[in-house]
Amino acid sequence: MLDLELVSKFILSNITVHIPKGISVGLIGASGAGKTTFLKLACGLLSPERGNVYTFGKNPVENRSLLGKKMGCLLEKAPLFHGERSVLDNFRELQMVHRMPETEFLKEYRRLAECFDIGKQERELVKNLSFGQRRRAELVAVLLHRPELLLLDEPTTGLDETAKTVLREILQERIQDGMTVVMTSHELQEVSRICQRIMVLKQGTQMYYGEEAALLRQYAPMDCMRLKLSGRLPDLEDLPVKQYTLSGEELKLRYNSNHVTAAEILEHVLRQTSVQEITIKKPDLAEVIRNLELQEKWEDRQS
Amino acid sequence: MKRMLAPYLAFAKKSFLNKSAYRFDHFMGILNTLLKIFIFWCIYRTLYGARTEVDGITMAMVTTNFVLSIGLDALFSVNDYYLPDRIGNGSIATELLLPVSFQGRMLFENLGNTLFKLFFHFLPAVVVSALTVGILPPAGAGSFMMFVVSALFGYGVLWSVSYLLQMFSFWLINMWSLITIKNVFINVLSGSMIPLWFMPDWMAPVLKVLPFSSIYFTPVQIYLGQLTSQEILGKCLIQLGWIAVLYLCGNFLWEKGKKKLVVQGG
Repeated sequence: MLDLELVSKFILSNITVHIPKGISVGLIGASGAGKTTFLKLACGLLSPERGNVYTFGKNPVENRSLLGKKMGCLLEKAPLFHGERSVLDNFRELQMVHRMPETEFLKEYRRLAECFDIGKQERELVKNLSFGQRRRAELVAVLLHRPELLLLDEPTTGLDETAKTVLREILQERIQDGMTVVMTSHELQEVSRICQRIMVLKQGTQMYYGEEAALLRQYAPMDCMRLKLSGRLPDLEDLPVKQYTLSGEELKLRYNSNHVTAAEILEHVLRQTSVQEITIKKPDLAEVIRNLELQEKWEDRQS
Repeated sequence: MKRMLAPYLAFAKKSFLNKSAYRFDHFMGILNTLLKIFIFWCIYRTLYGARTEVDGITMAMVTTNFVLSIGLDALFSVNDYYLPDRIGNGSIATELLLPVSFQGRMLFENLGNTLFKLFFHFLPAVVVSALTVGILPPAGAGSFMMFVVSALFGYGVLWSVSYLLQMFSFWLINMWSLITIKNVFINVLSGSMIPLWFMPDWMAPVLKVLPFSSIYFTPVQIYLGQLTSQEILGKCLIQLGWIAVLYLCGNFLWEKGKKKLVVQGG
């Protein structure tokens, strides 16, 4: 579906990735890491300085219009609507552009408009919409023609929690139907919920591409376990625990999940004492980004 | 073919209908055209004074030139900011990703406007002018038919001039000055302000190497029966030649501009 072979462009350097059909990929990284550049390369709005990009097996720059029917792109600084026209007018224009039959258009439009709650604003001029309303309408616009590949740049910006849930549900449904999604977002929780694979970019370099669980093991392996003890303090000397602190009856342990599992720790503790409550906090994507930033600062200081 | 053309015809229909929504603007447009014709008629009426003709050109011919060329000017309302606006607000990126030809859309949206103006601007303005300041009838049925064909080609030349010029917006931030200069050239050298009969002799070679006289003056000459069949054919071929040259140059810049966008990122 989407292949990049040793692609370099602006900050991006030697990116190689294969995204198969029906897979959702979340691009994460600090601001300026090259996420939007990646999306623009994928849709053919940028040509690579080195390497090759294939979207649907074709060079997207040379086949941009041809691929337009199969793609939906929501990019920052690339407005989808004419501000002086009504919301519905803009959708009608998309119907023409994508040559959608009336029944198919009405079916899709009504469903999406209801989900994203834009029905009340359809007669309003786009320029009069709030940012959130506009974003919801834009999401309807990119989903309307049922694209096979959806490229989303910060799609959750301006959305309230209800709209985020709607977006997540629709994307999950479409992904099940075979749609491929590549999205960037600073809302890592949303990325984690929607995307099956994660690609981490750090200053244009591809740090990781694969499943989230493996990413966390690699870049944020430190789990945190809190135990409310009802007995004596156990001896933890034999365990490969990174750090432990005792505050009242609560014992807090930080450990590398690649070296020791929660089950092993619990078994060890329960052999020596009794426990009233257990809480395990796994790291999330935010921690991956934090760790990468810390690593970057450390590398800067070293150099 | 029909399926391929469908979105473009829909664009034309849409812009036709959109145009009809702004009634006040529309009536003001007709009034503006009539005022322009009347002002030019008054100026030339005064210049002619008691004379019936100047260098073989009668006042009726001059009036006919104004009514037709100012009428056609109102009819051919090309949007010079179609591309500059899209480059300015960034929506060119969205447009490039749509599965339709940008140029095709640009042309058909304009054709929709033009069709609306033909029925509800050009024809009423010409009828009112004919009843007030008066215009000469066409030299014959054949002349009238060829006038229509030549006017169509004139529209093509004007659209292509605008198309070529708009392509510079890939490199220029402000297009206003360039567009203003183009409009001055069109006003002066197309015959809509000063009938080209009255241009000094030294201007003739200049006019020949520029496309502007092909826009309004060629159709007017055909309408008045001033050209032989062979000359009509020659002039129409020149019009087609200009359309081809301007469009190809515009396309060359379009490709260069798109390349600039994908290489530099806008």
